[in-house]
Amino acid sequence: MTELILFALFCLLLLSNQSIAIAIIIATFASMIYTIDILPAATTVAQRLAAGVDSFALLAVPFFILSGYLMGSGGIASRLIDFAMSLVGKLPGGLAYVNVIACTLFGSISGSAVASTSAVGGFMIPEMEKAGYTRSLSSAVTVTASTVGMLIPPSNILIIYSLASGGVSIAALFIAGYLPGLLVTFLLMAAAAIYLKRTNQVPARAVEIKPLITSFIGALPSLALVVLVIGGIIGGFFTPTEAGAVAVIYSFILAFYVYRQLSARDLYPLFLQAVRTTSIVMLLIAASSAMSWLLSYQSIPQTISEAMLTLSDNPLYILLIINLVLLVIGTFMDMTPAVLIFTPIFLPVAESLGISPLHFGIMMILNLSIGLCTPPVGSVLFVGCSIGKISIAEIIKPILPLYVAMVFALICVTAFPQISEFLPGLFGL
Amino acid sequence: MWFSNAMEKLGQQLNRLVVLLLVLLIVDVSWQVLTRFILPQPSSFTEEVARFLLIWISLLGAAVAYRYKDHLGFDLLAKKLPKKHQAKVSMFNAMVTIVFAVFVLLIGGGNVVYVVYTLEQYSSVLGVNMVFVYMVIPFAGLLFLMFAIDNLIQLSAPSEKPDGPGSVNHNSQGA
Amino acid sequence: LPFIFSCSDNSTDQKTIRLAHGLDVNHPVHLALVHFQQRLQVLSEGTIKVNVFPAGQLGSEREIIELIQFGTIGMTKVSASSLEAFVPNMKVFGLPYLFQDQQHFWRVLNGPIGKALLSDGERYRIKGLGYFDAGSRSFYATENLIQTPSDLSGLKIRVMNSQSAVNMVNTMGGSATPVSWGELYTALQQGVVDGAENNPPSFYFSKHYEVSKYYVLDEHTSIPDVIIIGTHLWKQLTVEQREWVQIAMQEATDYQIDLWQKSTNEALAKVKEYGVEVIYPDKTPFRDSVKELYKQINNEEILQLIADIKAQERD
Ligand code: NA
Ligand code: NA
Repeated sequence: MTELILFALFCLLLLSNQSIAIAIIIATFASMIYTIDILPAATTVAQRLAAGVDSFALLAVPFFILSGYLMGSGGIASRLIDFAMSLVGKLPGGLAYVNVIACTLFGSISGSAVASTSAVGGFMIPEMEKAGYTRSLSSAVTVTASTVGMLIPPSNILIIYSLASGGVSIAALFIAGYLPGLLVTFLLMAAAAIYLKRTNQVPARAVEIKPLITSFIGALPSLALVVLVIGGIIGGFFTPTEAGAVAVIYSFILAFYVYRQLSARDLYPLFLQAVRTTSIVMLLIAASSAMSWLLSYQSIPQTISEAMLTLSDNPLYILLIINLVLLVIGTFMDMTPAVLIFTPIFLPVAESLGISPLHFGIMMILNLSIGLCTPPVGSVLFVGCSIGKISIAEIIKPILPLYVAMVFALICVTAFPQISEFLPGLFGL
Repeated sequence: MWFSNAMEKLGQQLNRLVVLLLVLLIVDVSWQVLTRFILPQPSSFTEEVARFLLIWISLLGAAVAYRYKDHLGFDLLAKKLPKKHQAKVSMFNAMVTIVFAVFVLLIGGGNVVYVVYTLEQYSSVLGVNMVFVYMVIPFAGLLFLMFAIDNLIQLSAPSEKPDGPGSVNHNSQGA
Repeated sequence: LPFIFSCSDNSTDQKTIRLAHGLDVNHPVHLALVHFQQRLQVLSEGTIKVNVFPAGQLGSEREIIELIQFGTIGMTKVSASSLEAFVPNMKVFGLPYLFQDQQHFWRVLNGPIGKALLSDGERYRIKGLGYFDAGSRSFYATENLIQTPSDLSGLKIRVMNSQSAVNMVNTMGGSATPVSWGELYTALQQGVVDGAENNPPSFYFSKHYEVSKYYVLDEHTSIPDVIIIGTHLWKQLTVEQREWVQIAMQEATDYQIDLWQKSTNEALAKVKEYGVEVIYPDKTPFRDSVKELYKQINNEEILQLIADIKAQERD
């Protein structure tokens, strides 16, 4: 009964163009008062909202959003673009590939897909628009490519999976993520190329392509940001979260004192925009945390897994079912709660059929990465739409072929455990 | 009309407040990194401060974002309706927002604050009363409530522009 | 769709207790709580059903305590250090080398001191039912061999987010650095911190042994886990039902202590097998290094508590 109220009310509110976060919260609250008294229920939802954003790791979100805005307006973006143009700008559709690569790189550094969407999308989407790409395609490319960073280390979500699974080696997981991550990157570039051809979009080549050396020197201080962030994390100077704050300060100094493209007057609107974008994302995370709490409280995850084991004992068939279930879950639940809730439920099922927890974990993270880009609840999709200033309706058409690419990658990773297990095996992990 | 004017002023002040909180957050985390290299014993309070600031920013910022219609919705269907019905849907949304503000944030959040206050809960590092952390929930509720009421007033006022209070400066960040 | 599966409400004479905790399903604590669930089921002839929610599904330790106070959840397991915010006297367990040995530890917990601490939370709507063994915490380090407290000097040691843990490590000579548990693996791997401290099963389960060369069994603190029931739920129970709960809890505790011992031995064997050097240092210099900490205490209640605990030592 609870589940029916939750689902029906959520759909109704969604169709009425209610803010998605508020729709989730109201639906959660309404179905909660079916089993819990109204005051404890309201109190619990309120607490979950605060608890959902009470996490040090989430601080990466405002920081990378802000540094993205600073890079976008501070001249950092244009120099990186110049450099990227000199590299692949001559290819037809080159900027789309640059976007995919930049998102992969940023997602890898930050370990947060949301952060990379805002940091990369903040400058790539306007630049691609100038070059003649539609905003919707640029946003779709940014959104999907940003999730690759979940698979490539450092990745907090892989650490969370390791903890939830109670014993998968983090070192092995980190190494296991590289090949699947690169596979997704490659397939996304292929899908973007096909989409551009199919829709007869022939973006104008960059009007002016600077010589490689000139653009490289111009971009060097910006590229140094990447070195600073990766070097700082790998060198042990700060955690990935703290790297966000460092990135803010570095891009601030660059924009103000090196490139001198920002003045004190620009600062307030820029910060305001960043803090509002942050809050929208945070309220969504808070809301999904309240809803997943209710689902756990009703033991719905357990019910699902019990039903599943009665279906089959063929590993591939069960993995197919798990993938389908996770894809559905991913549409309306955030990644972190989904990993925390469903790992302890699905992993034993998978392990009992001889599937390695390493293979399962990579598959699960890749699967839920797709969910980050799907409506109705997809934090990366929302940030991408917000940064690209387009509606969810507009992004659907260009993002569909990219979903196909990701699902194809998921099928490969599911069917061929070697993709995940080859590298760890090589290193004896 | 005085109410709408007051709300506009309140909105502007809140903008300043959330920006200030964001600046504090950056200073706090930068300090955390810095102390590791400067001081023999790195600061231990910064993580807690950062987490609490994030809760405040998230909820206050959400109310501000509501005021300026920044929140993400699924506009596919509502956009296809005739103008007259669109206004009705907007009013329905404002009323749902009032339910959210009153029941979840004001009553629920108020009770969190009340329980935490009477049961004397303190944070583990700073030892601050958790009331100061949770207080932002009913506070945000009050803001959501007032902004939603203002939204309703403007929607029911004749010859008012249909998209309610100013959808301002989406263009200012230029990125 | 998953939403079709619906659970009907319980019949009127059946009681459901929702028990949430933060550890995974292989952890001795979870297994012992499942034992509690089964024993209570038998004792009550099926009239009391316990739903166990593991792995932090319903929130962190502090959040679950709040949910118990709101009346949404019935029971939980928390570390005594998480209770400090509600029961200030629990701070005493954060003091290093408070206990002479295991026997002393359990004598105190099972005696009047332990019982009084359990009921101390009642005015905060949380009542302690009993203690679980959470072992002793010891240092581990990525690169540096720690044999005496002086080896700690200059090392950044990750501690729990609690003032007493910070004070302890700083007093011993290290630099206490709070890092969240979830970020610790990477922090150790990349040298953000040089070491951390925890009990053997946590050291093993968290995989931190993969990035640590040394595990130094100095066993500085023994902080028990506490099983808590909300007073709103406790008041709803009949005298007979309360008795069943107590009996089942006692059996679960015995079961858990046994499991914990096995788990500790297994964890130590596994990390040695992996190549971690496990060191059994002379504890005396460690014990001496924290004397300063005891001198700084000026809280009368805590001082009295320490005196009472010391009075239970035996030669
Ligand atoms: Na990453
Ligand atoms: Na989704």
